[in-house]
This record gives sequence, C-alpha cells and structure tokens, in this order.
Amino acid sequence: MRRVSDVPLSGDPASRYLPWTVGLLVFLATLAFSVGMFLSTAGETWRQNVSGTLTIQIPAGERAVQAERVDSVIQLLRKTPGIVFVRPIPDAEIAALLEPWLGKQVLGLELPMPDLIDATVGPDAQLDLASLSTRLSQVVPGAVVDDHAVWLRRLTDFAAIAQTISFAVMIVILISAVATVIFTTRTGLAIHSDVVEVLHLIGAQDAYIARQFQSYTLRLAAAGAAIGFALGAAVVWSAQNFGAKMSGGLLPELALEPLQWAALAALPVAAVLLVVFTVGITVKRVLGKMM
Amino acid sequence: MGMRFCLRNRLGIKTLANGVGDIVRFENVGMRYRMGTEVLHDVSFALQAGSFQFFTGPSGAGKSSLMRLMYLAHRPSRGSIAMFGRDVSTVPRSELAALRRRIGVVFQDFRLIDHLSALDNVALPLRVAGAKEGQIRDHVAELLRWVGLEGQIDAKPTTLSGGEQQRVAIARAVIARPQILLADEPTGNVDDEIAIRLMYLLEELNKIGTTVVVATHNEGLIERFPHPRFHVEGGLLSGPGIDPPNLELDTAQGTDS
Repeated sequence: MRRVSDVPLSGDPASRYLPWTVGLLVFLATLAFSVGMFLSTAGETWRQNVSGTLTIQIPAGERAVQAERVDSVIQLLRKTPGIVFVRPIPDAEIAALLEPWLGKQVLGLELPMPDLIDATVGPDAQLDLASLSTRLSQVVPGAVVDDHAVWLRRLTDFAAIAQTISFAVMIVILISAVATVIFTTRTGLAIHSDVVEVLHLIGAQDAYIARQFQSYTLRLAAAGAAIGFALGAAVVWSAQNFGAKMSGGLLPELALEPLQWAALAALPVAAVLLVVFTVGITVKRVLGKMM
Repeated sequence: MGMRFCLRNRLGIKTLANGVGDIVRFENVGMRYRMGTEVLHDVSFALQAGSFQFFTGPSGAGKSSLMRLMYLAHRPSRGSIAMFGRDVSTVPRSELAALRRRIGVVFQDFRLIDHLSALDNVALPLRVAGAKEGQIRDHVAELLRWVGLEGQIDAKPTTLSGGEQQRVAIARAVIARPQILLADEPTGNVDDEIAIRLMYLLEELNKIGTTVVVATHNEGLIERFPHPRFHVEGGLLSGPGIDPPNLELDTAQGTDS
C-alpha cells in the first residue's frame, strides 16, 4: 500500500489543472517539434535534389531544326568545364510533368513543347553561369538557363526560418510550462506552509520536502504529458498519411524518420523531467529563505 | 539545577561561564520579527544536559519567541546561541536539519498534520531522518502504547480529543529520542488532570536523560512540580543566577541592531 504523502497536495485548486496544462503544452510542443523536423528534412531534400543541376530550356521550334538545336546545345554543354553530365529530358518525362495540368494525352495534343536538357555540375566546379547563358544564346537564340539557385535559396531560406520559428515556439511552450509549474508549486507551498514548516522544524532536509512536491507533480505531469503526446502524435501521424497523398513534384514526402519519431517520443519525457526539476528548484529556493 | 551563572565582563556585557555540559547557551540574545521592535532583550542563560527547566511569564512576554530560537525556527537579531555546543550562526544551513533532529518540540497548538493518522504523525521524525519503513510501525506503535493511545493508532487528529492530540504531539516529539524536549504551553489546551499526567510523562522522559524545557504561564503546575524556573516578562529574562537586566545597556544595544 502506498504511503500517504506528508503534504496533502492532492485536490489543491492550483494543481487541479496542471495535467491539462502540461497536456496542452506537450501537445503543442509535439506539433511544433514535428513541423520543425519536417521542415529540416524537406530543406535537406530540396537541397539534395536540386542543387548542382542546371536545366536548359530550348523554346519550341520547327521540327526540322529543333533536333539540330538540341544537339548544338548538348555539344556546347559537354565541352563546358565543370559540367559532368548532360541528359536531354525525353518527351515522355516532360509529358509526365505536365500531366497534372493537361491530362494524360499531352503528347497526343501535339502542343509546341520546349525541349529540356538536364546538366549536372561537378561538386567543386566554379561555373560562370552568365558566360554560359551568353554562349547558349549565341548558339540557340532564346535558350534559357535555369540553375535553380535563386528559388532554391529562397525555398531553403524559408524552410530554415520556418524551422527556427517552430523550434522557438517549442521553447516558448516549454518556458510556459516551467512558469506554470513555478506558479503552481509556489501556491502549493503557500497553501501548505503550516505542514511544510512542521516538516522543516522536525528536521526534514529541503530535498525531503521537495520530493513530496516532486512525486505529486510527477504523477500529474506524466499523465498530462502522455495524453498530450498521444494526441499530438496522432495528429502528426494523420498529417503524415494525408501528406503522402499530396507529396511528389516539389513537395517532398511528409514523413518523419524513425529517429525523428524517437526524438519526438523523448519530448514528453523531457517535458516531465523539466517540470519535476523545476518543482525541486522552486521548493528549495522558497525553503532556502527559512532558517 | 541545570543553570549556569550569568556574569558581566569588563564592558558590562553579560557573558556566561563556559559550561562543558551546556546543551543550550544564550549570550546577550536579542530577537525581533522582521523590522518590528525587539521582543527579547539581552537574554543570557545556559541549560545543562539532563536538566528540567520552566520558563514562566504572562502571555505575550516572549516565552514562545524564546522557544522558537531554541528549536531553530528563527535567528536571533543579535547575540549568540549555541545548541549542543555549536554556535548556530556558524552552522551551515545544510547541517541545521540534523541539529533539529536532536530537538523534540511540542508546539503550543500541537501542529499535528490532519490528513495523517496518529501513527503517521508520530512517524514523521523517523521518516525525515530516513528510517526504514519496516522498522517504523512497530516502534511508533510501542510509543503510542506508552502514551496510552494504543487504540488510536489509525485515528486522524481531528477525531481525537485535546488530551489525545497532546499525547500524539509528545510521542512525535520524542520518537527520534531527542536530547532536548521543548514544550511550549503544553497544558494550554487541556484540563488540569491531563496537564498533571503530561507533567509526569515529561518527568519520566527527564529521568531517562532528556533535557526538558517547558514554557508555561500555569502557576499551579509550577508549584506542584518544583523545577528551576526562569521568568520572562517584557522580553527580559530573570531568575536565579541571572543578574537584573541593565535597562540602560539593553536599550542602547536594542537600537543599534
């Protein structure tokens, strides 16, 4: 049979809502942390997929000369130092890219489609894109070089900022949890000051009294954190399943890696430990003012 | 019995002959609550281990404040206090808890914890000292039998009479075998018969070596149990072996603390 706590904390008005508060904060922190990790993965995926590649677009022209124009561009690219791989994108792939907008019969429509050429730049190559663009224009007027760098940089910058905001939100949420716990603990100490003083005067160490508050708060916070995390994880899981249907093209797969799930699962544990640690420090600070 | 004689040094400040067996030693102690006026002035006395001492005086004279200093609930605003030979002002805070465990206290209003049973209330000093649960129940039950509460082990304080609550408070004060027992107006809330039984209980504890200090304004009790007494009035201590207070000096010291 579990021994009754020396300090009658159960039923305190201040601590009654602690599980709900901790639960809500852990729920929000779980979402914020998940978004942060997702953006981190997405940013990395975008960087890996698109960096180091160029796409050269050759405007549609007469069929008779179009193949020759494409060959000219391919030859120029292959001779350009720093470019390690050149590949004309087949019509079927272009059709697949346009399929979401124009339907499956893109090729049958006989639309004037531009030719696209993928070029891979060596990892340490210092390519002068302005010069390359000029030379391409001389060979095939209207040819355009898209190095993805500008929009990629904007995209990854956006991902980094959003990721920072997500983690900052998570930190703010945890700070809110700490502030709530400090308030609840100080209220509990004030309500039970008579019992606390008796314990103090019969020779209880501060740590003994702090443990009374910590074990009670641990139970409340653990229950709240478990519920908050379960709900948060359910939302992330649902978003992951829903996101799987939307992913493709620019949007990377909306999924957390097993390691990221493990990090997410550590969040409620860390939150509870933070709460218990905060309670201990708060009690000891207040008791420290007594003789 | 039990007192040390108070002397004055060349500066006129009271000092005590250093007694090897002193368990409590106050030297020129003044006390105030926060920034209020001083409630004790130049209190100097010493108690020897194994003594039985009354502190008498009217309500509001400063007896409870004196007791609070002795059970280490409050620091003096001036002067020095030594408990068990250690100057409490130099004892690190982390060691004060261990010092308090050598002091048993029966509070004026008993201060039992209402949601705990008599057994759990009495067991508190053992638990805070880290005693094993297996050893606590038998030990506490035996003590509750000794104070005549064998049938009330699981009773909550609110269901006990004043006399029973008092005995639980005494059991809690002595369970950890303190070297000194401080009882602040222990008979204030009980009738005369229970008060006399309590005094016999305290005398029994004294006979087995516990130093007993009782603060009371019950003159009848003091006459019936002839132990040495100090009188506290207006924050000043008087009694056998204590010089009459030097009011001029007290006033001067009281204003500069």
